[in-house]
Amino acid sequence: MIQLQNIEKYYANKGMKSYILRHVSTTIRQGEFVSIMGPSGAGKSTLLNILGMLEEPTYGTYEFMGENVVSLNERKRIELYRNHIGFVFQAYHLIDEMTVAENIEAPLLYKKVGAAERKSRVAEMLDRFNMVAKKDLFPGQLSGGQQQLVGIARALAAQPLLILADEPTGNLQSAQALQIMDLFRKLNEEENITIIQVTHSEVNAGYGSRILHLLDGVISEDLQVVV
Amino acid sequence: MFRLNLKIAFRNLWKNKGYTLINIAGLSIGMTGCILIYLFISYQLSFDQQYQNKDRIYRVVSHAYYAGGEEFDRGVPLPLAPAMRNDFGMLEQVAALEGSFGMIKVKDSKGNVKLKTLEKAFYAEPGFFKIFDYKWLVGNPEKALTAPNTVALSKTTAAKFFGDWHQAVGKTINYQNDKDLLVTGVFADVPQNNSNVIAIAISYAGFKHRNEKRWGSVASSSECYILLKEGVKVSDLEGPKKAFLKKYYVEKTIGKPDHLFQPLKDIHTDERFGSFSGKKTSKNELLGLTVIGVLLLLTACINFINLATAQAVGRSKEVGVRKVMGSGKKQLMIQFLTETLVLTLIALLLACVFTEIVLPGMSALFKEEITFNLLGHPVIFVFIFCMVLLVGVLSGFYPAMIMSGFSPALAIKNKINIGSGGNTIRKVLVIIQFAITIVLVTGTLVIVMQMKFMREKSLGFTSSAIALINIPSDSLSRQKYEILKARIKAEPGVTAVSFCSDAPSSDDNTNNAFAFDSTIDAAFQANTKVVDDDYLKTFGLKLLAGRYLAKSKSDTAREYVVNETLLKKLDMTNVQDAIGKKILFGGIRGPVVGVVRDFNNLNLRGAISPMIMMTRNDRFEIIAVKMNAQQIPAVMKNIEKIWNDYYFEQVYSADFMDERISNYYTGEQLMGTLFKVFAMTIIFISFIGLFGLISFVATQRTKEMAIRKVLGANVLELVTMLNTSFIRMILLANLIAWPVAYIFIEKWLSGYAYRIPLNIWPFAASMLISLVITLVTVSLRSYQAAKTNPINALKYE
Repeated sequence: MIQLQNIEKYYANKGMKSYILRHVSTTIRQGEFVSIMGPSGAGKSTLLNILGMLEEPTYGTYEFMGENVVSLNERKRIELYRNHIGFVFQAYHLIDEMTVAENIEAPLLYKKVGAAERKSRVAEMLDRFNMVAKKDLFPGQLSGGQQQLVGIARALAAQPLLILADEPTGNLQSAQALQIMDLFRKLNEEENITIIQVTHSEVNAGYGSRILHLLDGVISEDLQVVV
Repeated sequence: MFRLNLKIAFRNLWKNKGYTLINIAGLSIGMTGCILIYLFISYQLSFDQQYQNKDRIYRVVSHAYYAGGEEFDRGVPLPLAPAMRNDFGMLEQVAALEGSFGMIKVKDSKGNVKLKTLEKAFYAEPGFFKIFDYKWLVGNPEKALTAPNTVALSKTTAAKFFGDWHQAVGKTINYQNDKDLLVTGVFADVPQNNSNVIAIAISYAGFKHRNEKRWGSVASSSECYILLKEGVKVSDLEGPKKAFLKKYYVEKTIGKPDHLFQPLKDIHTDERFGSFSGKKTSKNELLGLTVIGVLLLLTACINFINLATAQAVGRSKEVGVRKVMGSGKKQLMIQFLTETLVLTLIALLLACVFTEIVLPGMSALFKEEITFNLLGHPVIFVFIFCMVLLVGVLSGFYPAMIMSGFSPALAIKNKINIGSGGNTIRKVLVIIQFAITIVLVTGTLVIVMQMKFMREKSLGFTSSAIALINIPSDSLSRQKYEILKARIKAEPGVTAVSFCSDAPSSDDNTNNAFAFDSTIDAAFQANTKVVDDDYLKTFGLKLLAGRYLAKSKSDTAREYVVNETLLKKLDMTNVQDAIGKKILFGGIRGPVVGVVRDFNNLNLRGAISPMIMMTRNDRFEIIAVKMNAQQIPAVMKNIEKIWNDYYFEQVYSADFMDERISNYYTGEQLMGTLFKVFAMTIIFISFIGLFGLISFVATQRTKEMAIRKVLGANVLELVTMLNTSFIRMILLANLIAWPVAYIFIEKWLSGYAYRIPLNIWPFAASMLISLVITLVTVSLRSYQAAKTNPINALKYE
């Protein structure tokens, strides 16, 4: 599904190149649950952004479902991730001016899903995450765990093949964190959704099937998790 | 999608109530100004536009070149109308219109006078009503005014004279104590937006001087209108005109006489000619107002752009999230533009309300009936629609472009820095805004100064405590002149009394050709004033040489007094030389007996004309009475009583010289008021914009200020820090504004013969004003920011 070859990313600053990523090559297959780990500044988030097509690598090729992402124009790229990728963030990043239901609906609007279909999908999501009663609340009125659930529901509403999660439990208490991770595992196992998460937590990484260790921009270890 | 956008827009506007308020206030005030200016301009352009043939109607006006310049007059020589009818084949109609003023008497069925009133009346040829399709309620426009001593009245006038306009036809009215006129028609009232607001139209066949043959005399009360045949262009008249001028201007005339054909639609806006309505709004004034309107909108838009881009940082997260969710750039732009349009529409609604509130005031200011009637004038809708679209796009486009261009990866982490690019544009916009403000403030100051100058400048004669009272000039009344004058003079409190054709300064002047020293035909016309032997004393004129006119009861002039300008124009430097020289004027040769010091015979807009003064008993129109200022009310009452003793048949009317003079400047006063109002408005808009911007900067730099405070900076230093950059911008705005203001002001002042010198003060004053406003605004807001406890600001992270 994803093929990275020799991905490099650096920022030139007064003639000095400061590397974020170096020679990153890896393949991620459909249905994998990958955790990217590593100390602060190792380049985890940058790698995730590149995977999510929010940033472009300086060098290297990135193939997503057989298409070379780097050579695509912006509109095609948006088209691609709009249809196949869902994002989950540490800070939830819900739109504060929108209600729960509207937040979940938003990606469907951009995907140009018809009104009836949108309604049913939003209802389905609300139902699935037990948030029907909260659908008219604004993000500010929810707890952190609930906000993250909305964030995941929003990512799932567009029925993506891949979910990219940047420290999804970083702002949550452990009980809520467990709940989220259980949810990820369920999505991965039951719906065969590929999940790539950035995490600091060994516990969270344990939910996945594979761990990529990053150190100073280089993949230092690539482990399969044995259950 | 649109509905959601709309919903989000409202929520966002509500969330940032402060900025929304500032934006809406600025925009709605700017729009109100724009709508008012639009209404005013469209009213001014609606003059004379209701006639079916309006595109084929022209007014013939006079234009003469002299060695010393050129002269424009809206009147034509009396023989011109019949001559043109005869010589121009391509004209469908030619009609003379003669303005007149006099007393109308209406008698009741028993023959007693029931109504006595002074009215403006017009002698009109029947052709006039073929050119202008008035709506006739009774009577035949083609025939009503063919016979002499017939008259047609407007509906209101007919009702005023006879109670009910239905009963007017067949009755008679008396004009100027002369002939009885038979009412043969009633037409609908002519709307006020007309150059000829005719209420009483008398048959031209009854006009005394209709057969006048002289081509050398032009009075502005004799107008001539023509209607071109279908398909004829006005340029086609040029050829025949040449032959026409050659044929009729056979006498050796001074200067080079010419006639122009003025399109009907230009009559109201051509300041060189004027019209019977006494109203004119020059194209420059309309243009000036248009520019102000555009500037108003522009400053309001700049406010909007500045605040929106400043707020953009706060919204970067939303942009990032939306982009991550798959929103394209275009969809984001549409969303932001929707927000702008919502804001603009709210502002528009408010602007409509403001307009309704302010409009009566404006109508009163202009003394015109201007209405804001959306249904009656669908064009307003088009204007408003265009305005909203323009404002929405102009002010929404740039911020939308900036915001939709954010990189999602950075935006989502609030790492967006609008960067130096955005800051520069914001600064440039603020500078433009203040430059506009400064230009307007400077302009306003100069206008106010010039107005003050004109009000206070000596006209060269005394104008205080002088009453001007009309007198009848028929031969019977003339016989009572002497006794009237003697009795008024004997009144306690009266210091001098004089009969004359007009006051020294007047906007109704008669110019005539003359010959000086028997041999030379003067190359210019002279302004003539018919006066009596007390004129000099009454108006405090100064004699420079010779003596003043002697007392005379004759109807012909015997001797003349001239002014300095006349001698200067004749290249005579020594005033003494003029004494004893002969002047040939109106067929009468007489000696120059004296020279008076120049006084303003027009207003201060125009230069002093060459002038000849003489006595002629048959040409007096007013009696001027100089009084003790303290006794005016009592004296005026007595004068009216005396006047009515002799002219009980007539209508008494009096006004004061001072008031007349101030009336000359109503146009300037109006412009001054408009400028003051709009300059204040723009200052206010800029002020709230600046306030919004400094609020934003203060919030943005809260952390920086907190750190500086922790490091030991005090409040004053922080306030100074925030002020410095703004002050620098304002100084730059001044530098830009000055040359622009200088050019406009110099051009405006050059229209005045007597003007203030343009010095540094208005510029310095407007700089001071802009600096003070900025300092107050910025300090107010930054003091608040600088005073907050640094711990609060540093807690976030």
